[in-house]
Amino acid sequence: MILALVLAGTAGCGTGGPVAAPARAPVRPGVAEPAVLRIPSLGVDTRLERLGLDKAGALQPPADPQEAGWFAAGPAPGDIGPAVIAGHVDSKHGPAVFYRLARLHAGDRIFVERSDGTTVVFRVRSVETYPKAAFPTAEVYGPTPEAALRLITCGGRFDRSRQSYEDNVVAYAAVEA
Amino acid sequence: MNQRTRRLLLALTPALAAPLIVMAVAPATTAASTGWVRLAHLSPDTPSVDVYLYSFGDPDAELTLKHVGYGAVSPYQQVAAGRYTVAMRGAGADPDSPPVISTNVELTGGDALTVAGMGRTASLTIKVLEDSLSAPAGEATVRVVQASLQEPVVDVSAGAESLASGLHFPDVTAYSPVDPGSSTVRASGTADDASLPVELAARSTHTIVVLDGKSSGIRLMELTDASGSSSTPVGGVNTGLGGTAPGATDAGWLARAGWIASAVAAFGLIALIRRARSSTAERA
Repeated sequence: MILALVLAGTAGCGTGGPVAAPARAPVRPGVAEPAVLRIPSLGVDTRLERLGLDKAGALQPPADPQEAGWFAAGPAPGDIGPAVIAGHVDSKHGPAVFYRLARLHAGDRIFVERSDGTTVVFRVRSVETYPKAAFPTAEVYGPTPEAALRLITCGGRFDRSRQSYEDNVVAYAAVEA
Repeated sequence: MNQRTRRLLLALTPALAAPLIVMAVAPATTAASTGWVRLAHLSPDTPSVDVYLYSFGDPDAELTLKHVGYGAVSPYQQVAAGRYTVAMRGAGADPDSPPVISTNVELTGGDALTVAGMGRTASLTIKVLEDSLSAPAGEATVRVVQASLQEPVVDVSAGAESLASGLHFPDVTAYSPVDPGSSTVRASGTADDASLPVELAARSTHTIVVLDGKSSGIRLMELTDASGSSSTPVGGVNTGLGGTAPGATDAGWLARAGWIASAVAAFGLIALIRRARSSTAERA
């Protein structure tokens, strides 16, 4: 009974308001789309939704705080370039899928299972925190000559007036050779 | 070491006289930034080689590729910016033996280099190609490396766009912009031609290598040098709703967990008291 109470307490997560369905990005050549993200060191095991841009051109956060999402206009994980996966640090009610992202360490492994049943493995290179006002767009989304992965969530202080965290946490990873 | 390699090494005896690495102590790289290096063998008449990448002044190789045959290109390796020495030895040669050829390479942070053995064996050189990592929005860029002796002069096109005209072995073109999407690269010499379907995503950069065919003629190889996102989001991401922030207005999961913990503790305490009472009663 108590377990049920706890589950109800953390799983009944609202979102930040109405979210438009992400526009279907043009299919990029290369590897299959990502379906599942697993980070054993954090206990993360989540399906991946497709993310697009909102009206302001910002990356749309996942609709479900307990699931991460892949920026579908960018490279797929395992393809050359910077694949981007974003997830919530928390919902309105409790921890969300990337609650512990800032605790990733260099060398930690990240597994992405793809829609064709294959899995690609990445290793964390670094984890950085940036003020959202100084988000390093080029470093996160800029071209790379290798199959790279960036995991993004929120961090820092929560600004209640804006209903938004002040920082973004970015974990940089590259495909395991 | 096979006969060809032996002959190659003998032919290059003057080069062997040069010391592999200048052992002078180089200042440690202080720049935290990194770049990328990949190694390639693009000399048609040179047998397989072992390729070594040394951080300048460090006799222990940072990267070693064994039995690299003609047409092989390694994946990019991310390494610290700084000065490196690249050395090639005959496949299987003693790592301490003098190299067939070596050269120094300067890697700037954020840059990517292709270090390739090119030209005929008799005039083998290590070329350092600066790779482009970014293409303008709405375009892909492609360059051509002419590494074929079967057809030493070729014309190369991607779809309807010419990439190179009368390109001589062992030359390399600059990157030229092309329309993104599916395309076919064609190369033609005097006696043979080759074509290769390619996917050129917007904002990606590519190298097309014209190679000797396995038995005769020519073949093509495509390398994706870099790729970005076809559209780039503005700013950061709003991936937090504050439910775990201090003073969460929604009573918060911590408060809820605290309430549950208190409830559990209270029930537990009541149970303990009851048990204590009943056991006291039994003894009495």
